[in-house]
This record gives sequence, structure tokens and C-alpha cells, in this order.
Amino acid sequence: MRRQRNPAPPSALGAPSGAAPSAPSGAAPGATPKAAGYLVRAIRYIRRYRRDAVLAYGALFIATAAQLMVPQLVQNIIDAVTQGMIAGKVLELPAAVQSLAAEKLGLSLDELLAHRNGAESALLWAGALIVVFAALRGLFAFAQTYMGERLSQSVAFDLRNDLFAKIQRLSFSYHDQNRTGQLMVRATDDVEKVRLFIGQGLLMAVQALALLTGTLAVLLATNARLMLVALPILPIALLMFGFFGSVTRPLFEKVQRLLSNMNTILQENVAGIKVVKAFTREDEQDRRFAVAADKYMRQQLVVSRIMSFLFPLVFLVASLGQALILNAGGRQIIQGTLTLGEWQKFSLYLVYVFFPLGMLGMIIAQMSQASASARRVFEILDAQSDIVDKPGAVDTPPLRGHVRFENVTFRYFGSGEAVLSEVDFEAQPGQTVALLGATGSGKSTIINLIPRFYDATEGRVLIDGLDVRDVKIESLRSQIGIVLQDTTLFSGTIRDNIAFGRTGATDAEIERAAGAAAADTFIRSFPDGYATLVGERGTTLSGGQKQRLAIARSLLMDPRILILDDSTSSVDLATEAEIQKALSELMRGRTSFVIAQRISTVLNADQILVLDRGRIAARGRHEELLESSELYAGIYSSQLVDDARPVPAPVEA
Amino acid sequence: MFGGGHLRFALERETAKPHSVGSTLRRFGSYFRPYGLQLALVMVMMVLGTWAQVTAPDLTGQVVDCYLTPAVASQFGGGATALPGAPASATSVRASNCRFPEALQLTTNAERIAGMGKMILMIVGLFVLGAVTGGLQFYMMSYAGQNVLKRMRVEVFQKILRLSIGYHVEHEAGDTMSRITNDADTIQQGVNFALVQVLSGVLLIVWIAYNMLTRSVAYALVAMSVLPLMVLATTYFSNQARRAFRRTRRSIGSVNADLQESIAGVREVQAFSRERENIEAFRETNASNRDANIRAVAYTAALAPALEALGYIALMLVTAVGGFAILRGQDFFGTTMSFGLMVTFLGYVQRFNQPIQQISVMWTNIQSAIAGGERIFGLIDVVPDVQDAPDAQVMPPIRGAVEFKDVWAEYKPGEPVLKGVELRAQPGQMIAIAGPTGAGKTTIANLIPRFYDVTRGQVLIDGIDVRSVTAYSLRRQIAVVLQDTFLFNDTILENIRFGRPEASDDEVKAAARLAHADSFIERLPEAYETVLGERGTGLSQGQRQLLSIARAALADPRILILDEATSSVDTRTERLIQAALEKLLAGRTSFVIAHRLSTIRHADQVLVVEDGQIVERGKHSELLARQGVYYNLYMSQFRRQDVDGGDGRERLAAPIAAG
Repeated sequence: MRRQRNPAPPSALGAPSGAAPSAPSGAAPGATPKAAGYLVRAIRYIRRYRRDAVLAYGALFIATAAQLMVPQLVQNIIDAVTQGMIAGKVLELPAAVQSLAAEKLGLSLDELLAHRNGAESALLWAGALIVVFAALRGLFAFAQTYMGERLSQSVAFDLRNDLFAKIQRLSFSYHDQNRTGQLMVRATDDVEKVRLFIGQGLLMAVQALALLTGTLAVLLATNARLMLVALPILPIALLMFGFFGSVTRPLFEKVQRLLSNMNTILQENVAGIKVVKAFTREDEQDRRFAVAADKYMRQQLVVSRIMSFLFPLVFLVASLGQALILNAGGRQIIQGTLTLGEWQKFSLYLVYVFFPLGMLGMIIAQMSQASASARRVFEILDAQSDIVDKPGAVDTPPLRGHVRFENVTFRYFGSGEAVLSEVDFEAQPGQTVALLGATGSGKSTIINLIPRFYDATEGRVLIDGLDVRDVKIESLRSQIGIVLQDTTLFSGTIRDNIAFGRTGATDAEIERAAGAAAADTFIRSFPDGYATLVGERGTTLSGGQKQRLAIARSLLMDPRILILDDSTSSVDLATEAEIQKALSELMRGRTSFVIAQRISTVLNADQILVLDRGRIAARGRHEELLESSELYAGIYSSQLVDDARPVPAPVEA
Repeated sequence: MFGGGHLRFALERETAKPHSVGSTLRRFGSYFRPYGLQLALVMVMMVLGTWAQVTAPDLTGQVVDCYLTPAVASQFGGGATALPGAPASATSVRASNCRFPEALQLTTNAERIAGMGKMILMIVGLFVLGAVTGGLQFYMMSYAGQNVLKRMRVEVFQKILRLSIGYHVEHEAGDTMSRITNDADTIQQGVNFALVQVLSGVLLIVWIAYNMLTRSVAYALVAMSVLPLMVLATTYFSNQARRAFRRTRRSIGSVNADLQESIAGVREVQAFSRERENIEAFRETNASNRDANIRAVAYTAALAPALEALGYIALMLVTAVGGFAILRGQDFFGTTMSFGLMVTFLGYVQRFNQPIQQISVMWTNIQSAIAGGERIFGLIDVVPDVQDAPDAQVMPPIRGAVEFKDVWAEYKPGEPVLKGVELRAQPGQMIAIAGPTGAGKTTIANLIPRFYDVTRGQVLIDGIDVRSVTAYSLRRQIAVVLQDTFLFNDTILENIRFGRPEASDDEVKAAARLAHADSFIERLPEAYETVLGERGTGLSQGQRQLLSIARAALADPRILILDEATSSVDTRTERLIQAALEKLLAGRTSFVIAHRLSTIRHADQVLVVEDGQIVERGKHSELLARQGVYYNLYMSQFRRQDVDGGDGRERLAAPIAAG
């Protein structure tokens, strides 16, 4: 069988690392930028998609410009009609008064004629232009939204990939501290919130700004006096939005809190339904839930009350702006200083002024959510994995299997109580080491240090004389096989799961490994055989079947060092015997560390380490220990044998 | 005319079609009945608000026709008398739609400004009316809707607690919970907001159409000519978008599944150095999700701009056609065209756009809400398969004699899990139940507190059939200690008190002492006031078991049912648990699903269950001597008795595949 044929490039000793692309993304330690800083970092991801960004924002400006043209064209139509109508009327007057009327209007008769005759074509032109600009507006608004969405999806794609890669490479101690659910939320909800802001909020903000400044510029340029009438509304509306935001945010937060309270009660009662029923607590839980539901409803109504007051108020203020323009503009028309068309244009533009204000609330809400989310995302991306290849790490040479712990002390997170204290032992190649001790005595910590899932706090772990911290992690782990009682299967076929540690294995190799692990028979009993889907969305396997797949998986890797938990799930006697056979097959010729649950294991072990609160309390072979160690004798009788006395001699012995 | 953000969210959401709209709506109706007054007010507000909305553009048109156009017309005449020799009609607008003849008689600008001011004040009044009715309408609807929702939530919750264990085994917890979490939310969206929006949208469109048609049929048709296109665009794009988003839901599902698996299994991934492959595989899933989303968004991205462009075209049509008519002599298919009419119509077409978008999007929300209601009512209507008989008696104080007479039980019809079980326990006896996984051990235990009903035979306690007494009076006297201790997100004190809510603090602490839980509790910084997290996180398995024992001790039951845990606890805790159990069991009839040798050896009777039948019974030593099923079982399960080992994964309520 092959041995460590990893595609690791032959890197020269001392060459700069570069093996792990996950090298910590160098966050400036100490200086923690504010949440907005994280959002800016997220926005910088846009740089990888310059083309999309340029297209999105280019489209935005064109679309906004087209939008700004429409009211002007409406004015052109109305003005042409007014002028044409007036000219027509004047020209209908008796010749004597015509010139007088024309004089009053300050126009020559020729101009009046031009007005009358040109009105219809001017109207047609303006109408046609509106169609053109409406089409332009539609087209570029589409381009803006579409490109913005593309851009944001691409950013989310990158963020998720980065998160995934980071999470995959973060060390065990990181995962000890963070639950799956939390990490999931960050990679899904938080990324989505950041994405929404980049795809919508940011564009909306720019669009609102462009529309607002564009409109104000046009209005001030054409009729500053009229604009100044409506202008005071702006800051009032702004203030109201600010007030609205600051008043409602804590209220919404409280709604969320009360909602999750209510859902917790629900969830507890559904999950613990049997306890509730057994202790006849239904009525009491009803009351508890009803109180929570009531509190939630009342808070919702508080929010409703405020919204039912604030929203109409904001709209009212905007409407009052319209009324002010109507009034002031009307005065100007009556006094002859404003045309009907311009007046109409003003009222159309006014919508453009209040629309961005309306969006403001949404943008601000999105931004604050996105900032918080961005912070959570970058917290992961910035997390330092404490287990990384050190610069100049070398490939682990093919191992013989000599393992030595040199005065190893271990504390989780580098502090607190020592889980292992000055553990010192040596395993010769091919030896079987049985680890024995109560839960929490340090058995699993020892086995976690060998493949360098954690680093020793003090002391060294040496394999074939090499400190595990001096070699490339991947080259080390690929020579160590692990079989634990609780095996995770991944979505995919049985074949994929056996080839988990060696993707390139041939079918024959996979089937041979399965055969040796006593798994071949049950695999073939499935209709789809090795192609049977397992994992969350596939067939459910029994504990014993999973365990045999895990053994096959390790056999296929042909590791030099083996770590295993020899307990078996409840299976029938024949299967158990097969699993035992498979395990001894697996252990043959390899250095093995076994968390011992069986008599046979300790009996056959070359070395037994008896652990007590992180220390090796006794070591030796079974017979020696039975005599020399009281602790061992105690564990042997209580954990391994219990009261097996009435039973005829143990079969395995 | 703008926006589209909310649109997208609405389209992204999963929608479901209801089956029985009529009866579900009637059910909703019965819930809303107590809020008839509020609903009536909502309707009144809706009508008033819509009236204000359609009247404002009309009044604006009147401002134009009554005050502005005459003023413009008089500018070249400088008043009726300024142009001698000219016919009076020439200097005024020949015909106008002004409905206030006295306004047309005004001659000075000052008078016109004053008149216009009054009219604008009326418009402001309309705006205020619109705001007030809008606010009231929103609040009234929320008030009624939230109250109805609360009532539904509470009713669903009550039902959940009263459904039999069998129901909960059959239905996943998440699915049951989503009746309250998701479906109620859909109803809130659909009934409280969408329904009102759709109703007022329809009212507004109809009213505007009516107003326009009564002013001028031809002009109204011109203004509304884009309407069919708008409806078409909306339905087309939103249907496409919905279909596309359905694909994105699948693709995001794969992304989440990948994430979930790789995070949960990260230790294995690293142990087998699979990081690179996994990252590569995730990249692919992630990319197809991105692409599905980009494809889907093309449709939503198109909808809002299309409607907006159509809106501008309507604007253009109204101005251009109106302008032509004015230029050509103001007659337009029998109507007098005027600037005022044009302004009114401009106001109207601007108000068309939003309701159309909303109606099409919200309609599906309403459908989803009805479907959600259907599911909720479906759950409320489930008849629990275990419920008190109409003439159920109160269970008298139990002495503790338990008898199974030819008991058959099944979870799925036709698949009996117990086949004729006979057993008899004397008061105070300890019965150990042993057997392979799936043999029916748990089922036997489940029948005593009547979590299920037998399909044949009888379960008698002190000679009384458990089906003839109230479940409450029966279960109060029985305590259950489950293998997987369930703790509530509350203080330790309250978690123990769960066994008997009326117990005093001292009694709770006494129970904790009896269960040997006091020593670890008192070592916690907040002792009995320590709040336990989700499922008791923060405590070890063994500690949780001790709490569960304390809980049962507090309940002081006559019959105790114990599913022995096999989870790993250290030797010290193990000894504590043993001691606590011994005390708890003393003097009570107990049924123990046995995983420990010591239990079995001390049992008054060991029942060996296999394939739904009791195949052997007797004392431990007798059974061993027999060298039958028990002997084999013992050899495989108990001989290798250890602290970490054993399976013990059998959930108490897990459906059991016979055999």
C-alpha cells in the first residue's frame, strides 16, 4: 500500500512556509477598529469585482439623470400648451387689439405665431423624449439593481469561502469555544446582512444622494425663491427620521427579546414534553406561555402605536411640502412670474426630494445591522489559529511510529487548571498503549496531542524524534489514523466516506479496506452498495455500522500511528466479534493508542498508562499493575470487569 | 413609483397555496369576531383615507382651473376691460372644469390668491385626514391582529402540551414548533398587513378609475392605457422571480448543509487532512448558490424599473393628450379639457403604481397566511389519542400494585410493539426490564403513566384501569427519571421544583440533599440560583442526572419509572447516583430500564423482553442459571460493564422497530 504520497511540493528546508493558505489574516492586534471599520473592510471586497462595481454605479448615475429629465419635459409640454393656447387666443382677437395684447405679453406677433404653430410639434417632441428617457431610466435602473446584486452576491461568495476555509482550519481549541450554530449563523445570516447592505443599502445611499443633490440643484437653479419655501421641510423631515430611528430601535430590540423568550418556552416544552406530562405541569406551562405571549403582544402593540403615529406624521410633513409649493407656486403664477408647467415640474421634483429621505431610515437600519454583522464575520476571519505550520516546517518523513511525550503539561486555552501534568512516556514502533482512567483524567487530551490537535503548554511531543510542532501538520496527520466511537459520516456515498482520508483510492482498495473492517457484507446488502448515500440526507446507519466504516477509513489510509476508542456500540454478538477482529487487524504492526474499554485491550497492551487527574499514576503491563497499583486494580474491577464473577471465565482471556 | 426592496423580500419568501379557503377564512372570522368594532373602524378609516387620497388631486385641479388658468389667461388681457373691443370670452378660458363659478368671476390677483389659499387649506385638511385615518387604521388592525395571533399561539401551545407522546414521536419537534413560530408569523404578515394593503389598494384603484371615468371616459382610458401593461409586467416578473427564488432556496439549503456538516465534523476533517478538498467542494456549492441568486434577481431587478418606466409613459400620455386637446379647442370626445383636469389626472396616474405592485405581491402573502391558518387549525383540531374518558375518576392514593393483562401496543397500526405482555408488580417492588434495543422495554414503561394507550388488554394500577382515571391524578403519583435529563432554562431551584411546584425552598433543598446533588450545587457560585442554559449546559451528565433524581424525589411518587442512563460519568458521581437512586427507590414500586448490573442484581424481578414479549422472568441469579436469552444478553451487554461504554442511545420515546 502506498505510504504518504501527498502532493506536497518538495520544499527546501528553511524555505518560507506558504504551505497553509490559511495563514492568519494579520489583523492588527490590540487596535480594534469600530464596527464601521469592519463594514469598510467588507466593502473593500468589491475591489475584486471592479467591472461590476463600475457598471452598477455608472448605471445608477445614468438612471438618476434620466429620472431627473422627466419633470423638466413635463414642464416643456405644459409650457408649450400654455403658450400655444395664449398665442392662439391672442391671434383670434380683432386685429386692433392683437398688438395691444401682444405688447402686454411682451411678444411680437411673429413670436406669437411661432408659439401657436410650434406648440404641437414641441409637445410631440417633449412627449417622445419622455418615452426615451423613461426607457433609459428603466433600462439603467435595471442594470443598476442587477449589477449591484451581482456584485453583492460575488462579495458574499468570497466572504463565505473565506469563512469556510478559515473555519475548516481553525484549531480544536477554537471549536471548543464556539458552537456550530453560532458559526453557522455567521456564515449565513451575517454574510447575508453584509451582502444586503452592499447590494442595496450602499447603492441606495448613493442613489438617494445623487437624486437629492441633483433635484436640489435643478430646483435652486430654476426657481430658488420657490425652492426656499419648501426647503425648511427637509431638516424637519430629517430630524423626524432620526428621532424615529432612535425611538424605535430599542423597541424593536425588546420585541425580539420577548419573541425569543416566548420561543424558548415553546421549544423547551416541545423538547421536554415527556417531563412536562410526567409531572403534570401542563396547566402551569400554559400560563407561563400565555404570559410570555401576552408580553410579546403588548410590546408589538407599543411599537404599532408609535409607528401608527410616526409614519403618517412623516408622510404628512412631506405632503405639507407639496401644499407649500402649491400655494407659493400658485401665487407666483397668479402674479405672472411662474408658468403652469414649471409649477407642475416643481411638484414632481418634490417627490424626488422626499423619496431619498424616505429611504434614509431603511439605509441607516441596514447599515447598523450590516456593521454588526461585518464585525462578527471578521472576528472569525481574524481569529488566530493557534495550530499552524510554523515558518520552515518540513514534511514529516515516512514514520516508523516512535512516540515520546517529554514532560508534557497541558492547559486548555493556555491557562487554568492543568489537564495534563508532566506526562512522560515513550511508545516503541508497533507497540499498543492502553490509556485508562476516569472521565476527565486526561486520556483524550493525550491522544489529541499526538496529531497536534492542540499544542502542549509545556514539554514536547516527539514522533520519531521530531517535535510535532516542527513538521507540516498535513503531512503529520496523514500518517495517523483515528477511530472514535462516535463517528461523523459526511453526506455522500459510502465509498466517499471510506475514501475520506485518501480521495484518490481505487474501488478495489476501498473494497479491500471495507472487507478487512468487516463492513463489506453489510454495505453490499444495501440496494446501492458502495454508492449508498449516507449522512444527514441519506440512509441512517447503526452505531456498529458507522464504526466499521470508520475502521475501513483508517485502514485505507494505512497510518503508522493509530488512535482509537475500543468501545463498541451495542451490536449483536457475531458483529461484535467481527469488529474485534477488524480492530486487531487494524492495530497489527502499528503504534496504537487505545482508550481502553475492554478487558482484551488491557490484557494485550504492551503498556498501560493509568491516568489520574492529568498525571500518570501507574504504568506497566496488566499483571504488574494488578499487583503494584491499587488504582489499577480498582478500575479494573469496577470499570472493566464489574462483577463478572458469576460468569464463566471471560471468553477473551 | 420607486423602491423594490420590500418587493424582493416578499417574492423570496416561500409561498403556499391553501386548500380550503372558505372554511379557513370562516375560522379566521370567528377569531376576529370579538374585534368587530375595531375592524369596522378600520373599514371606515380605509374609506375616509382613500377619499382623502382621491379628493386631493381633484382639488389641486380645481385650484388650477378656478384660479390659476384664469389668471394666466387674463395676463394678456389685464382684466376684462383692459382690451377694448375684445369679446369678454376671449380673455377668459372659454370653458373650464371649475366647479366654483364664483371663482371665475374674480378679477384681481389678490382675490384669486385668497381664494386659492382657502382651497389649499382644504387640501391640507385632506392630508391631515389621510394621516390620521392611516395611523388609526394601522393601529386598529394591529390591535385586532395581534390579539388574534396571541390567542392562536396560546391555543396551539395548549394543544401541543395535550397531544399524546405518540404525536410528538411521529412529528418532528421543529415541525410542531413552526406552527407557532413560522405560521403565526405568516398570518401576521398576511392578515394584519397584506390584507389591509390589498383592500385599500383595490379601493384606491377603483375609486380613482371611477373618478377619472366620470370626468372623461376617453381621457380616463388614455390615462389607464398602461394599466394592463403594468399588471402584466408585475404578474410576469413576480411569477418568474418566485420560481427562480425557489431554486435559490434549494441552493442555499445545500450551502447550509455543507457548512453544518463541515463545522460539526471539523475535528474529523482536520484529523484526515481533508481541509483542502472540503474547501474546494464548498466553493462549488457556494458558486452555484451565487449563480442561482444572480439569475433570480434579474426578474426582481426588472420589475420595479419596468413599472417606473410605464408610470412615466402614463405621465407623458396624460400631459401630451391633454395638451393636444387644449391646443385644439379644449373639446376632447365631449369633455372639456382644461389644465386643471390635466393636473388632476397627473395626480391620479402617479397614485396607480404602488397599489398595483402591492396587490400582486401581497396577494401571495395572503394565500400563505391562509395556508398557515390551515396548518394551525389543523393542529388545534387534532384529537389527542390519549385523553380522559368522559366519566374519568380521580385516581385514589396509589399503593403501588401494577398489573399488565395481555397488553398489546403499537405505534403504527398493524405493527405491534408489545404482544401480549403479562406482568404483576407488588407495591414496593423493583422491576428491572432488560432486553436488546427495540425490544419494547420503553413501551412497557410508557404505558404505566398512560403516555400511550394499549391496543388490547389492560394496564391496572391497584386494580384500576389507567384509562378510567384522569391522566392528571394518575401522573401526579408517578415520577419518571429519563436517561436524557431535560432541564429548563431556569434556576436549579426551579428545575427541581418542577417535580412539585407548590414545594417550599426548604423542601426543594431537602430533595437535592436526598439526591446527593446538594454538594455540587452549593459549590456553584450562585448555588441554587444558578440559571441553567439550554438543555442544562454547564452541568455534566452526571450532575444533570442528580438533578433529575432530586426532581423525582421532590414529587414523592408512589410509582417510579427510571430509564437508567449509561452516559459517561466519573466513578465518584456514579457512586453518588447509585446511592441517590437507592434512597429514591426505597418503598416505592419501581420500573427500571436496566443498563447497570447492580440494578439488575438487586431487582425483585427481572423481565427479559425480546420482540415485544417477555421471554424470561425471575431473579438475576435464576436467569443466569437458566443460560437462556438473559444469559446471552448478559454476556454481551453487562459483562463488559464500564463507565464510558454501553450504548444507551435508545431514546425513551423513540419509535421502536420491532425486533
